[in-house]
This record gives sequence, structure tokens and C-alpha cells, in this order.
Amino acid sequence: MTNLLMVPGLVLIAAGLWFLLIAALGLWQFPDLMSRLHALTKADTAGVALVALGATCLTASLSDAVVLLLCVLLVAVSGATTGHLIARARLKDTET
Amino acid sequence: MTAVFDILLAIGILGCAAAALAVRERTAAIAAFMVAGLLVALSWVRLGAPDVALAEAAIGAGLTGALLLRSARRLGPVRPRSVGWPVLGSAAILSAALAATLAWAVASSRGISSYQSLVAERLSESGVTNPVTAVLLNFRAWDTLLEIAVLSVALMLVASVGTARIRFDRLGEMMLPCARIVVPLLVLVSGHLLWLGSSDPGGAFQAGAVLAGAGLVLVMSGHVPTAGRAVDIARVVGLSGLAIFVIAASAAQVLTGGFLQFPPDVAKAWIIAIEAGLTLSIAATLVLLFLGLSRHSRS
Amino acid sequence: MTPDLVYLATGAGLGALALWRLTTSSDPLRRVLALNVLAVGIAMILLAAAHGPGGADAVPQAFVLTGIVVLVAVTAALLALAETLGPRGD
Repeated sequence: MTNLLMVPGLVLIAAGLWFLLIAALGLWQFPDLMSRLHALTKADTAGVALVALGATCLTASLSDAVVLLLCVLLVAVSGATTGHLIARARLKDTET
Repeated sequence: MTAVFDILLAIGILGCAAAALAVRERTAAIAAFMVAGLLVALSWVRLGAPDVALAEAAIGAGLTGALLLRSARRLGPVRPRSVGWPVLGSAAILSAALAATLAWAVASSRGISSYQSLVAERLSESGVTNPVTAVLLNFRAWDTLLEIAVLSVALMLVASVGTARIRFDRLGEMMLPCARIVVPLLVLVSGHLLWLGSSDPGGAFQAGAVLAGAGLVLVMSGHVPTAGRAVDIARVVGLSGLAIFVIAASAAQVLTGGFLQFPPDVAKAWIIAIEAGLTLSIAATLVLLFLGLSRHSRS
Repeated sequence: MTPDLVYLATGAGLGALALWRLTTSSDPLRRVLALNVLAVGIAMILLAAAHGPGGADAVPQAFVLTGIVVLVAVTAALLALAETLGPRGD
């Protein structure tokens, strides 16, 4: 069972790491705050979700899967909220 | 292979700490400090200390970072002071020498003093199976009692000095949906950590820090007033931790004749009861330390 | 190289960086930050010393846990005092 899920698990984790790497590159290379946020929030959430999915395949246990799901949910909610708050603060600063 | 991971992690920690101390802009420095704190928590898991790693991630990186960010704009602008090269150089040499001496002293005294066997010997009498919780709340409960006293003193100092009010109304309408999802989950995680603390990594301090995070999200969403009765209640809850601990210690004195010596067969119930009280009190204290409210806060 | 030696050196390095900044900076916020880094460095030295072949020693872990909580209280108190004092010359 675990051997069967080993390969897809590793592939999913590698895909997640690729997303995270792209997010880091975007944060480093993009010129202004808005495009950096754009790169960071989406690629980051997707990367963490893929890594968690891969880890679930590797452990193949339901209780660990629930904890990982909770992690992904919290990362998604906090990422979306902080992204919104940072963008909002920037818009308010440029208005005044 | 694992040594490579350790060395990379060590380089990351030192790099982030150097950035936190050297970068000119305050916000960037604090961000580097928070990243360093999370990496340090990871390294402490590698050192076999997950209890401490949880506390460092929640308190050392999270709450301290929030406190520093709060103050970054309020403290006036940095006044660059010209420090001569001789001063900088001698300070660098002296601090490097001090740190090297410390590391050498620790490395050469390896294996001389170890409490591990002592703790393992008496662990069955403590009522819990997590050795760190046993040390914190049974063997060395005096330290923890005085630590709560320090927290209470800091709470009273911040409440009497007071800091400027934080304006949360500018955060906008996204905070409320966020709070609706995050606060119940954080309360759940906090209770889980508290209950887990007797047998696995976790405990009152980690649970209190997570609960304080939930409290801050609630305050930021604008659903808890930051004035009047709510603050008075929070202050009473914050100071009640010390009171609960002292009452428990005195009750143990009456029952067993030893200060902070809980009756061995029901020690677990005592520890869980004290920890539950401490969790609420630590959470209230940390929220109040962040908000910095006083009776006559300047607006 | 065992992990405890790597982290012992890291803790000492953090302590050296923080001490240097603590003595040469004039910004109160940076000094509080340096104090926090210093505490992390010392905690890391303690934990590296506690790490042995049979697992980690619980007593130094309890010390470090106590230290983290005391430090956040001290940080909050110092920042409140620094805000009250306001900017000042050297």
C-alpha cells in the first residue's frame, strides 16, 4: 500500500516545491508590491497544498491527513487575508 | 545527508539573524527576525526539543514579531550615530571572544551534569508522562510560579505606562470572515495542546500563546471593545493565573506539608487544573501586553 | 559533525552577532531585537548541550521554555517604556 502511494506522493511534493520556488523567484524578481503579492499568495497556497497532499500519500494515515488538511486550510485563509490587508494598506497609502 | 540539512539550516538562521540586525529599514529587519525565529524552531525540533520549538514559533517568532512591528512606527525615526571604526572593531572582537569562550566551555564540559536519569527516575510520581511538563509543573514548579509573577508584573507595568491606541478600524471587512474560520480552529488547537501537554509535546504556554492569537484576531475584527468592562475582565483573568497558582501551592502545603508538592496519586488532576487556569491567564496577559491599554491611554 | 556541535556553533554565532549589535546600535528597537536574538542564541547553546544520545534532557528544556515566556514579557515592557520616553538624543 505504502509502496503504491510512494511515487505519486514524491511527485506531488516535487510539484509543490516547484510552485514554492516559483513563488520565491517572483517575490525576488518582480518590480512592485502588487505583482509580488500576486506571485506570492497564489503560488504559495498551491505549493503548500500540493506538498500536504504528497505527505498524505506518503503517510497513508487518516489522522495525519486531517492535521495536514487543517494546515492547508489555515495557510489558505491567512494567506488570502494578509494579501488583502497588505494590498489594502498600499491602496490607502497611495490615495492619501 | 542529515548533517548537510543541519548545516544549511544553521547558515539560514545566521543569515536571517544578521539581516535582522544589520538591515537599515525596521520592517524588513523585523521580518528577517521572524523568519529566523521559525528556522530556529525547526532546528530545535532537530535537537529533540519539540515543546520548546512550539513555544519559540508561537511566542518567540509570532508574538514578539507582532510587538516589534507595533512599535516600529511609533518609536521616532532612527538617528544615525557615527560610531568610529575602533569602537566597532573592538566591540566585534570582544563579543566574538565572549561567544567563543561560552561555546568552548559548553563543548568541553559535555556529559558532566545531566538531570536526565533523575527526571526519568521520578517521572512516574509526577502524574504526567511528558518529562518537560513534569519538570515545569511538578519538580521545578517554583520556577514556573515566579515566571507567572514576572508576566503579571509586566502586565501591571504596561497597564500603568500605557501605549498609544491601535486603530483596527482601518483593517477593513476581510477580518471578520477570517476570524469566523480561524478563531474556532485556534480555540480547538489550543485545547488540544493543553490536553496533550501531559503526555506529548504541548502544554499551558503553547496553548496560551495560540489562544492569545485567537484573541488578537477577535480584537482586530472589531468584535471585542478595547475599552471599558471588557478590558477590566481581561485584566482580572490575566492576573488570576498567579492567584490560582498561589492558591494551589498553599492548598498543597496544607494537604501534603510541602510547598508545591502535589499529592502523588492525584497529581495529574492538579497539574491539568493549574495548566487550564494558566492557559487562560497567559492568553489574556499576552493580548493585553500587545494592546498596551491603560486607564488614560493617549489617543 | 553531529547536529549538537553544528547548533552549538550556531548559538555562539547568534550570541556574538547580538552582543555586537547591542553594544553599537543607538536605535531602541534594534537593541530590543538584539536582546531577543541574544536570548535565542543562549537558548540554542543550552538545548545543544542538553541533546545527548538518549534524547534531550528535560530540565534545560524547561529553563528555555521559561526564558521564552519571560523574554516576551520583558520585550513588551521595554517597548512600552521606549514609546513613553520618546525619541531622545544620545
